Amino acid sequence: MSLRRALAHRNLLYLLSLKELRTRYKKSVLGWAWSLLNPLSQMLIFTVIFTYVFAALPVTGSPSGLKNFPLYFLGGLLPWNFFAITTNVAMGTVQGGAGLIKKVAFPHEHLVFSVVIAQFVTLLIETSILLIALVIAGQNVLVWIPVLLALYILWALFTTGVALTLAAANVFFHDVQYLWTIVAQVLFYATPVIYFASTIKLDALRAVGNYGPTGSFIVAFHDVLYDGRMPGAGRWVYITALATVSFAFGTWFFGKLSPRFAEEL
Amino acid sequence: MSGDVVLAVDHLVKSFRLHHQRANSLKQFIAARGRNRYEEFVAVNDVTFDVREGEVFGVIGQNGSGKSTLLKCMAGILQPNSGNVRVSRRMGALLELGAGFHPDLTGRENVFLNAAILGMPRKEIALHFDAIVDFSGLHTFIDQPVKTYSSGMYVRLAFAVAINVDPQLLIIDEILAVGDVSFQRRCMEKFVEFRDDGRTIVLVTHDMGSVKNLCDRAIWLEHGKAVDEGDPGDLVEAYTERMLGAYSRTADGGHRQGSGEIRITQVEMFVNAGTTPVKRFRTGDDVRLRLHYESEQTVPQPVIGIEIESVGGSTISAPNTRDVGLVPTTMSGNGDLEVSFAKVALLPGSYDLHTSITDFNRAKIYDRLQNAMRFDVMTGKPYETEGVVTLSPQWTL
Repeated sequence: MSLRRALAHRNLLYLLSLKELRTRYKKSVLGWAWSLLNPLSQMLIFTVIFTYVFAALPVTGSPSGLKNFPLYFLGGLLPWNFFAITTNVAMGTVQGGAGLIKKVAFPHEHLVFSVVIAQFVTLLIETSILLIALVIAGQNVLVWIPVLLALYILWALFTTGVALTLAAANVFFHDVQYLWTIVAQVLFYATPVIYFASTIKLDALRAVGNYGPTGSFIVAFHDVLYDGRMPGAGRWVYITALATVSFAFGTWFFGKLSPRFAEEL
Repeated sequence: MSGDVVLAVDHLVKSFRLHHQRANSLKQFIAARGRNRYEEFVAVNDVTFDVREGEVFGVIGQNGSGKSTLLKCMAGILQPNSGNVRVSRRMGALLELGAGFHPDLTGRENVFLNAAILGMPRKEIALHFDAIVDFSGLHTFIDQPVKTYSSGMYVRLAFAVAINVDPQLLIIDEILAVGDVSFQRRCMEKFVEFRDDGRTIVLVTHDMGSVKNLCDRAIWLEHGKAVDEGDPGDLVEAYTERMLGAYSRTADGGHRQGSGEIRITQVEMFVNAGTTPVKRFRTGDDVRLRLHYESEQTVPQPVIGIEIESVGGSTISAPNTRDVGLVPTTMSGNGDLEVSFAKVALLPGSYDLHTSITDFNRAKIYDRLQNAMRFDVMTGKPYETEGVVTLSPQWTL
């Protein structure tokens, strides 16, 4: 139902996404460069910590033979940032769209979808730069682009589901956003972005890194970008299921609550 | 009246929960074990009416009578608890101008975004874009961010978008009351053009004049219920009468100040040679005010004053009897007194009238009746579009 309505208003979705992209870095000197500088600074910090503070060695990618922590890190961080920023901004967008929601009838999902689309465009731009870096490092990633895109789309569906759920819940309970800050942090460390899941000794923790809700996706990205191999069939089935369940639940939950937004906001 | 029904409101009920202790955080929610203590407040109670093609339909009622809730249900913003709203034409609801304008985007970008929010397909927006810019008169500013616009420019652009979305059924909430006078006149022209095009309009307003002049039919809401429906002239009359009655009741309560030895009980207004009390006149009319008073005891040297205030809150004039040397040594009993004004120079608009009775020094207040009466001034002679009073200018060019 809500999906059909969303399609009927795709022009609005397009313009809202454009608005998200256009207004994001207005009034900043470096503009879009910020979206690249942020992950780069994180990369520098974590590379120093990983290499010198923890004195750890990066795992060699197989079959790629790549042994480079910064590239590994970015391969996980970029999609992670997409997830973290989208969920966070989506909550604020529905809250911040109160004026609109109270005065105009339109599909509220678009507020969330537009954030997802704008962030997805950002992710694609950032990833293309990472791909160039990987090619320079001798990794033949270009053949993997279709697979990576498929994985990204599943990741976007998963993210959309979470974002819809949080945005709708946050209208009714404002502490959802504070709670989410904590949960997102736990998820970040439970996801193999700054470490290699395979090197964890404790079985239970390794399983969390490998098969946690976010970890299972990030490992798949690493398979493609760092190791240069196809994720296993089991993983494909698993993340497709996660993305489907998340998206289906999110749209159902949001659709259920959105008629009451105008009263609650 | 013979057109198809384009908007059918059928036994519409909308209620809100008034929470005593609203759980806004999970902690409170869990502490209350998921139960929120609330009262049900019925804002719209079983309202039914039809609007036919080409009609101008008015909705009148006091503040809090459920007008806006009804409107939001019609526009699809709120979901009714029961009953339903059927709309069979492309609808445009103007509840607020410029809802969804983003300050950082340019006028052009906002036109597209705003029109899309109002439900217009992209191709049509492009088609109407020039007309929108023309109507707004903002050609030179259209590529500037709207945060650089003055509030007047902002409203102009928003109205230009709204009116060009080209709905077959238009729902308007009081928005004709924004902007400066010349802009209001342009809105009114557009509105009349719309009506003459045979489009359907639902108008919610406090302005009884426009209900009488523009509407074909009207409904009167009170406490969420439809009191009456029918000819706008009759309805406005009945409504105004009811509001007056209600007013003198409230006047005895919160709006009255003073020690109360003597009180103004009622104010009546007469125009020209008229003998029936009225609430409106035209610029240039002769106006007479009759103030009825009652007193419990004899009051020495009372000074009677009136104050005329614009709706904007500025005092236009505040004459009193002391200034003209008319102070009786005592006043007692019940009676009335009159004050008359020749060729009143007030320009069209609404005004509030306050009355007061004080002692000679204007220090002790016997009685002050805030908002004793609200009256409307309609276009007469001389005619000016801006300002509050006319000084009967004689131009030489």
